[in-house]
Amino acid sequence: MGWFDFLSKKKVSKYDFVLEYEALFEKRIPKLRPVSQLRFAVLDTETTGLDTKKDYVVSFGAIAVKDYRMLVNQSIETYLDAPMQKEASLKVHEILYPVGVTPLKDFAEDLLKFVGNDIIVGHHIGFDLGMLEKIMVNFGLENFLNPVIDTHALAIRLEKGPHYDPRMGKPREYSLDALCERYGIALDDRHTAAGDAFLTAQLLMKLLKLAEKKGIKDFGELMK
Amino acid sequence: MSNVIVNRVKEFLKRFPPFTFLSDATLGLVAKEVEVKYYAEGEYLFRQGDAAQSAFFVLKEGIVQLAEHKEDGERVVEVCDEGDVFGVLALLGKRPYILNAQAKEDSLVYAIPVGVFEKILEENSRVSLYFAAGFASGQVVIRSDLSQSQKARSEFKELSKDNGLMIFTGQSDMNFSSDVLCCMTGKSIGDAAQLMSEKGVGSVIIIDENKFPLGIITDKDLRNKVVAKGLAYTTPVEEIMTTPVITKSKDEGFSNLYLTMIKNRLHHLIFTEDGTAQSAVIGILSDHDILLSQGNSPAVLINALMNTWDVNEMAKVRNRAELLLKYYLENEVAMDFVANIISEINDIIIQRAIQIAKNKIDKEFPEASKVKFCFLSLGSEGREEQLLRTDLDNALVYEDVPKEQQEEVQKYMLLIAEDVIETLLICGFHPCPADMMANNPKWCQPISVWKQYFSNWIITPNQKALMHATIFFDFRPIFGHKALSEEMTDHIYNEIAGKTIFLNFLAKNALLNPAPLGFFRNFIVEKTGEHRDKFDIKLRAMMPLADIARILVLSHRVVGINNTFKRFEKMAELEPNHQELMLEAGKAYEILMRMRAIEGMRSESAGRYIQPESLGKLQRQLLKNTFAPIDELQKIMRVRFQLDYFNS
Repeated sequence: MGWFDFLSKKKVSKYDFVLEYEALFEKRIPKLRPVSQLRFAVLDTETTGLDTKKDYVVSFGAIAVKDYRMLVNQSIETYLDAPMQKEASLKVHEILYPVGVTPLKDFAEDLLKFVGNDIIVGHHIGFDLGMLEKIMVNFGLENFLNPVIDTHALAIRLEKGPHYDPRMGKPREYSLDALCERYGIALDDRHTAAGDAFLTAQLLMKLLKLAEKKGIKDFGELMK
Repeated sequence: MSNVIVNRVKEFLKRFPPFTFLSDATLGLVAKEVEVKYYAEGEYLFRQGDAAQSAFFVLKEGIVQLAEHKEDGERVVEVCDEGDVFGVLALLGKRPYILNAQAKEDSLVYAIPVGVFEKILEENSRVSLYFAAGFASGQVVIRSDLSQSQKARSEFKELSKDNGLMIFTGQSDMNFSSDVLCCMTGKSIGDAAQLMSEKGVGSVIIIDENKFPLGIITDKDLRNKVVAKGLAYTTPVEEIMTTPVITKSKDEGFSNLYLTMIKNRLHHLIFTEDGTAQSAVIGILSDHDILLSQGNSPAVLINALMNTWDVNEMAKVRNRAELLLKYYLENEVAMDFVANIISEINDIIIQRAIQIAKNKIDKEFPEASKVKFCFLSLGSEGREEQLLRTDLDNALVYEDVPKEQQEEVQKYMLLIAEDVIETLLICGFHPCPADMMANNPKWCQPISVWKQYFSNWIITPNQKALMHATIFFDFRPIFGHKALSEEMTDHIYNEIAGKTIFLNFLAKNALLNPAPLGFFRNFIVEKTGEHRDKFDIKLRAMMPLADIARILVLSHRVVGINNTFKRFEKMAELEPNHQELMLEAGKAYEILMRMRAIEGMRSESAGRYIQPESLGKLQRQLLKNTFAPIDELQKIMRVRFQLDYFNS
């Protein structure tokens, strides 16, 4: 994409479900809300690669966490057809989808309903959000509006303090695997989106407890 | 909903009871409703007096302690670990929690909403049974008490009634005839025979005027005692009847009745009103009745053994017994019954082997063959606990003979023993690596030498003596002159009476084996060698119990009880203050025997080394539970025999 691409990019009108989603953010989460009352949407994506420009989401998994509970019946797992996300194929909305593959529009709608105005959590979540926003933009949503917590950053903040420069550390010291191992979380089938979301959710709960011990007890402190 | 996540929950749950009993689909339903809760160390899941939450808990990771709050502090009731289910009681009883549940480590807990489970309880009788078995006695965690889990397991088996060997068909299925042919005393043999022929039966019971049984006459008696001897048919029946008769109540339970018949080689067992010979005859159970209802049964095997002199045939029968054992183990048949049957089969093989040997050798030793002897089984076989054909431990004792005859007699005895051992090896037993067998001249000796052995071990209890004691003190006469073995028993008790310090040494020796559980409540496994990371069930769990049982029996001067679990049962009687512990120890030993045998069959070994991870949750917990009585008993031994002040 070049400098002037924004000129040529057609403006997509917002879908109803996007409008509904945006309406949720008219009220902000109060800063004093205790951590136990916050709702987290922990998510992970599997993609064709690491380039947000060229690659596509293959599968998506997420689970909700509230009051240190993971709600299994509020988890989602979706498989997407990567080539469908290409500009060309996106224009053809009414094609037949293979069994088990969710149409993009359904996925986008489900995703926004799922995350609502929760705090979105993930490991290296910026990447996942970037990939997901590439899908959402087709339905009129440029950016997610939710507060975001990156478990990678949270772990570093809790272990090394807020002013630590991650480049000083060993590589992969704060990878999901390394953290799970450090926090005693059993790694079973990694590298499915839902599996990783499940691990990340467990990691989040452990980190939140640790945060509470360090005096980070409410939304305001947590998002600092 | 995410299948990956639901599956992960499912995979975890299905390793542990009661979820093991759920179908995949039902488990899926449960897993979907699960909430995964995280508790940091020190946090409470619920407190005593709190209203029941709408879910019960399964511990996924960490440790949760259940404790009762009292005025003078907390009393820990249970410490739960992975897979334990708790918090059910309040839920089912719809009342507040009676205990505090606190995370002792950071813990991950699965909360199962009661709604979904109540449906399952209704639909699945096995699951409700599981809970019922656990909670009938007010248990707080699902597991713990040995008898409860045993009960739960055996009751499940009944549900899936298989028609394998029909060993444990209900009593109502047991066919016996209540129409018994009886004949009053004073009648003639001729009259009795005529009655039998009219009714077409092979036996007649001789009764008195009250219909109390006095004796029995069978076809065989008529053949052997009347016709062959040319006795007059007018002879009164009481002269040839077999008397007294063994009587039982028909309510005794099938395994018991069956065992009585096998042990006494009875073809007919008489039922009376109250089970004694002092009440009226109400029925008769014949071995034929049993054979009809059973296929590959112990009776059939024993019968086959009794009817062959061919060693290879005996070996085949012994192999068939292994199948029977497998069936028994898989079907949770009571351990005393199983041990009894297998010991009985082994004993018969030894008895037959000795007869075979005698038939071969006796004619060359006209004098020596008249010397009385007794063949003894030692160690686990002596204790009637050898389920698998592991190492042979046996010995031979014979009466004292004049000096000039000694050499000849020992030669004869050794030849007999040699032959017996060979037969046993063909039948699939393994030789003792330490050569503690009757064909070793050292262990084939006259009674006076044996007495000397025992005296020496008792008077100078060094390491070797104590090792011998643990094996030789569990001798049991198998064949021959039992008076010789009784004489040895008397001798031992007389010697010990004067040297009680011996028991202290024996006790100290019994505590040498380290506790089976490590500090972190994991199994102590082998550190090196072929069996690395495996748990030595014999050394760490069974031997300590067997050793302690032996010491207790010796210190109470109990005679004739060799089974470790029966010894503990006896101790429960003799030491009422420790009754519960003794019974628990007995049960623990039965469970260990079962586990070892199952492992042995699985791995085709002696079953001694068990891989803790390969056990299911229930098995692993069962195994851990067996350690509790060991620990308790060792503490008692330490105090009773003052081992802390006692350094050898």
